[in-house]
Amino acid sequence: MVHISDGILSLPVLAAGWAITIALLAVAIWWSKKKGNLEEEIPKLSVMTAAFFVASLIHIPVGPTSAHFILNGLVGVILGIFAFPAIFIGVVLQTVLFQHGGITTIGVNTVNIGIPALIAYCIFKWGNKGGMTLMRKELSVWIFGALAGGIAVFLAVIFTAFSLVLSNEEAFFAIAIAFTVAHIPIIIIEAIITGSIAVFLLKVKPELIGGLGDDD
Amino acid sequence: MNVKQMACIFAVLVVLSCLCISVASAHRMHVVHTLSELEIEAYFGGGTPVRDADVKVYDIDGNLYIEGTTDEEGKFRFPPKIGMEEYEVVVNATHMPGHKGETTINLSQVSAGAGGVGTEIPLYTRVIAGFGYLIGIAGFAMAYVYWKRNKK
Repeated sequence: MVHISDGILSLPVLAAGWAITIALLAVAIWWSKKKGNLEEEIPKLSVMTAAFFVASLIHIPVGPTSAHFILNGLVGVILGIFAFPAIFIGVVLQTVLFQHGGITTIGVNTVNIGIPALIAYCIFKWGNKGGMTLMRKELSVWIFGALAGGIAVFLAVIFTAFSLVLSNEEAFFAIAIAFTVAHIPIIIIEAIITGSIAVFLLKVKPELIGGLGDDD
Repeated sequence: MNVKQMACIFAVLVVLSCLCISVASAHRMHVVHTLSELEIEAYFGGGTPVRDADVKVYDIDGNLYIEGTTDEEGKFRFPPKIGMEEYEVVVNATHMPGHKGETTINLSQVSAGAGGVGTEIPLYTRVIAGFGYLIGIAGFAMAYVYWKRNKK
């Protein structure tokens, strides 16, 4: 439920959303040119975008409403900076095909979901720095993966509440608390999913986890 | 000649008898109609009804006609106004701030009693369409990357 519809946000907020989105997309493209191994990333990017795209269809009823999965923490942990373009494409497809959110709010929605994903990546990367024995590494990957997954959803909720407040001057805390409460099950489940998938990939194919790379 | 005259008289009789049918029907039956209410239904993608949402109905000039809230099934009913054919319905979800839906009801074009996004394509089709787009984008990106590599 972090997709804001058309006709709710004020023009400056919409414009700011698009500006930040375009700037971060440019950074991601520049980054991929600098690194120069984009072709290895493309299948991974596509799979994660697909997962993000369909995750929003899974609803969990909470009280009088329902909340859906976002999966931005997982996308962030695995893709790193490329999480942002992946989420942008995912949001565009969700808008066009599922009517989640509006065309004019694609920018804001990408920022609200994508920046928490980048923050999740930073948390995960920071938490797993330094050489460790494999056993302890597994534990730290799980803990920081779960932390990243949970915080990404929480921040997406807070960002959404904030962009609504910027447009309407409503009580921020009332909206933020209502949103967060509705997303508590999602935060817990996504934390577990992100932590478990990160550990699984660590055992099976650790180079798939962008957040564990040393070179960037 | 005789046959022609006979035919003419017969034709006139037929026309006259036809005219008489409506006049002669003494037991006239009345069928009147009333359009008592219009029903709208609001739901999120996936089918969850939008409960307790603010509904505002505007006429074609943008004047507020009626407002209310949706019930537990996400439905809201309102009486149509005589002479008003087009309504703009705006639904604002109160439990999920930031979620808003709109539809235009045109009474002269309402067919089979339903309209709006209820007539959308099935979900699985859209999921497959989404995957299709993604594969397409990935294909273009890979083609671009390999084209660039071969150029070097």
